[in-house]
Amino acid sequence: MKFTKFLALVVSVFLLLAGCSNGSSSGPEKTEDGKIKISFINGFTGGDGAYMKKITKAFNASQDKYVVTELQEKDHYTKFKSGNYDLVVIHGNNLETYKQDGLIQDIGPVIEKAGIKESDFHQAGLDIAKLEGGMYAVPLDIHPLTMFYNKDLIAEAPKTYEDLKSLNTKLQAQSEDLYALGVPSSGLVEFYMLMIAAQNGVDLKDGEKLNFAQDKYADALMQFHDMVWEDKVSPPKLGLDGEFQTFMKEAKEGKAYQTAVALTGPWFYGAAKEKYADKLGVAPIPQIGSELASYGNAHTIALSAKVEDEKVKEGIAEYLKFMFTPENLINWADGGQAPVHLATLEKIEAEQEKYQIAYQNSKQFENYVSPPQVYQFGEQIRYMNETVFSKLVTTENFTKKDLMKELEKATKLAEQVAATAPKK
Amino acid sequence: MFFRMEVKMYKGASHKIWSILMVSPFVVFFLLFWALPLGLGVWISLHNWNVSSGNLGFVSLENYKSILTPGTLYYDLFMKGLKNTLYFVVISVPPLVLISLGLALVIDNLPKRFKPIYRTIFFISYSISVTAVSAIFLWLFNGNGGYFNNVLESIGIIREPINWLGEQPYAWLTILITTVWWTIGFNMMLFINALDEVDVALYEAADLDGAGAFSKFISVTWPQIRNVAFFIIIMTVIASFNLYGQTKLITGGGPEQSTNSLIMNIQTSVFGMNQLGIGSAMAIIMGLIMMVIIVFQYWLSYRNKE
Amino acid sequence: MKKSTRKSLPILIVATIIAFLFLLPLVWMVFTSFKTLSESMASSSILPSAWTMENYLSVFSSVSEAPILRWLFNTAFITAVGTVLVVIVDILAAYSLARLKVPGKKMIMGMVFAALAIPGIVTLFPAFYMFKTAGLLDTYVPLILPYTASTMGVFLMYNFLISFPKDLEEAAYIDGATQWQILYHVIFPSIKPVAMTLGVITFLGIYNDFLWPSLVTNSNDMKTITLGIATLIQGANFVNPAKMMASTVIATIPAIIVFLIANKYIVKSVTNTGIK
Repeated sequence: MKFTKFLALVVSVFLLLAGCSNGSSSGPEKTEDGKIKISFINGFTGGDGAYMKKITKAFNASQDKYVVTELQEKDHYTKFKSGNYDLVVIHGNNLETYKQDGLIQDIGPVIEKAGIKESDFHQAGLDIAKLEGGMYAVPLDIHPLTMFYNKDLIAEAPKTYEDLKSLNTKLQAQSEDLYALGVPSSGLVEFYMLMIAAQNGVDLKDGEKLNFAQDKYADALMQFHDMVWEDKVSPPKLGLDGEFQTFMKEAKEGKAYQTAVALTGPWFYGAAKEKYADKLGVAPIPQIGSELASYGNAHTIALSAKVEDEKVKEGIAEYLKFMFTPENLINWADGGQAPVHLATLEKIEAEQEKYQIAYQNSKQFENYVSPPQVYQFGEQIRYMNETVFSKLVTTENFTKKDLMKELEKATKLAEQVAATAPKK
Repeated sequence: MFFRMEVKMYKGASHKIWSILMVSPFVVFFLLFWALPLGLGVWISLHNWNVSSGNLGFVSLENYKSILTPGTLYYDLFMKGLKNTLYFVVISVPPLVLISLGLALVIDNLPKRFKPIYRTIFFISYSISVTAVSAIFLWLFNGNGGYFNNVLESIGIIREPINWLGEQPYAWLTILITTVWWTIGFNMMLFINALDEVDVALYEAADLDGAGAFSKFISVTWPQIRNVAFFIIIMTVIASFNLYGQTKLITGGGPEQSTNSLIMNIQTSVFGMNQLGIGSAMAIIMGLIMMVIIVFQYWLSYRNKE
Repeated sequence: MKKSTRKSLPILIVATIIAFLFLLPLVWMVFTSFKTLSESMASSSILPSAWTMENYLSVFSSVSEAPILRWLFNTAFITAVGTVLVVIVDILAAYSLARLKVPGKKMIMGMVFAALAIPGIVTLFPAFYMFKTAGLLDTYVPLILPYTASTMGVFLMYNFLISFPKDLEEAAYIDGATQWQILYHVIFPSIKPVAMTLGVITFLGIYNDFLWPSLVTNSNDMKTITLGIATLIQGANFVNPAKMMASTVIATIPAIIVFLIANKYIVKSVTNTGIK
């Protein structure tokens, strides 16, 4: 009986605590000196974080009505879902999910207030940010699969798969530890799989789900298997981020494979530049499939569904207006990202040497294919990312039939994930 | 007289108040941070609870049903995680217990002045956080040009580099080596102390009987440290069941999801798929499975004592 | 003496080889932290070919992204307060349960046993939601208090006290000592080794916890060192291994120092845990 009393006490204390903290949601949050607070959460914990902070800092210094507090967090999606934030960076492939979950709202009215027009952005960015029923985010950048090459090993960027093959023959003649490029078994494999879909004209979106079990897609994917086991343009059994790590190795010790080319993410640019300096070449990816197309993810800035206060919205409009000017957004290109904001792109083109990576990637916007807009894209493709691709490139005797079986399983799982979507 | 005094000492009215006062902080904390969350967890597991959109209503045992129905997404996730975790428990508990016992015996047989140094060295890795440990082993076991591969190649054990993190059974071996290196010190310490307690006279008696080292261990040492050993086994099983940091940070669950532990998969269902109800139900089933295993172990060790 | 050393030479050699294997990863960590970025990625020899302090400098200069000292402080604070709290709460409870015949003892002991077998993951998410509802996320509260619900300490301490003779307490009682005096002068000194053991177990448990702190902290400034290092490892996309090893060294050194100081207590204390 003592315990029921204890329990009653404990529960009431707890409810009291809970009650206290909930009662304070009237009007926008303000700082002590009367500025309206705007919270902005993103996942820029790598090298690019400092450049976004620079923009935010400049904004806060520029005026006295609003203050933006920016939080950079590795697990920023989890934090966003469980916390209260006004602005959030959402990857292009996640936008549809957040829209369907009702976590973000149409940002159209806010950008209108900011004087930002659709025509200010490259079409590739608009393709990502415009969902059924409106503009759900401001497109910030696209980070496509990028090609790095080592000018010591190859004078000019390869443009086709044939180029890669002949490069490989040449390198293998020099040393058997030298290869044209590396195919990783985990890490960037989602980029690889969607790039090859884009380059073979395969559309994975099938209604609400991703349909991987397409004959044409199986053929396209088998090329990665053949790159490792048939044409042997890649060393076998590379692990996580193998495409980049192998590019950074030195084969001369006879202890490691080295590659001349890396099809990898632009975020590795800083490290590659530090190692190779002027010997580092950057270029759009070569044509590996039947047509030239590029793929990659994108950052967009979305507005939390919880934001209702007009004053906060005005502040957000001010912030976006500030950010989307060439002189401020150029910081983002300085951090290695390729903005889709046209005026900023002009500035980048004018100084292509300084913004090497941003410029090269912006060239890929022309044939960019955006991620399929389906609910829970990441979960739908999880099995492909974590299992199928690895089997494909690490199993020597993997056949198209084996692959098709896996693709069917992946599609079945994707279908079940798609079914968890909230009812409209 | 003495008897009556004892009664008074432990049963007086003021002592009752004392006793309640003393136990209450623990009871309050326990109810607040264990019993209440547990109850809440059970309650959530009976609801269709979405992390993004909140509580979507009572579904009774529906979540449990979909986890236990073959062919569903959640069944795959749970069973795969359970299978991987059980596999790790099976491969990790024997080395974690036996190697720690071996190390303790080595320490026990060292000359006295060397004991503290070696004991500290064997124990020191336990003071390093799981994230730091993972960072180190991630690079040591790198497949292409990693340090470990190079050592093995230069001493001629292997010809081709091993893809430690991307291929089985090597990925499990990597996780196992990491876990042994990281946590063995704690078990070893418990064994060392148990060995210290063994009566020296018993060894001397065994020496007189001309017993060898092995038979001395079986007939003298083992009976004395058996209870500690059972305790260590149970603790190790619990720890191995809770596998999370190493696989999350070193293999990321790969290759081909084969090192996805149950806790990782529960986390995926909650934060990846937003299904808090499903995730809570998975956690509760996992708790029940662990309870059964641990109760069984208690029973085994109790039965052996008879 | 000489003779015994010679006799134990084989075992000394075995111990030395094992010790070498144990120290190797740590040595590798330290040397890698002095390598340049390209060497740390490219080379596989253990010694740097060109030594650089740059990694350490950049760790300390990028404090706004990775405030390592702040993380260390958080960890020190949380582990210290948490450990002391757990030990005190558990001693009081165990004493009350083992000696004072508290009402409801059977029920409490039943809960203690049941809780031992249930994994933390069961209470993880609900506890998170409780702290969220209470508005206590990203404070020290959820980083400290939940550890007090652990029943391991009560279990250990209770077992110890049950097998510990009552004579001293009774003698003190005859001398007219109050309950508090008995606890302070008789029980505490004799329970010290177990309390130390529990302290070490609790300290390491809190220090190494990873999943829970990652849920309940939001800002960079509230992270523990274990969590902070995890952020550096997982990075966003690219992690510089040499710099990461430098941060790991910085994060590890204080723990090792604490450990070496506590070592002599730990050794003595793990005895007599009442497990036997």
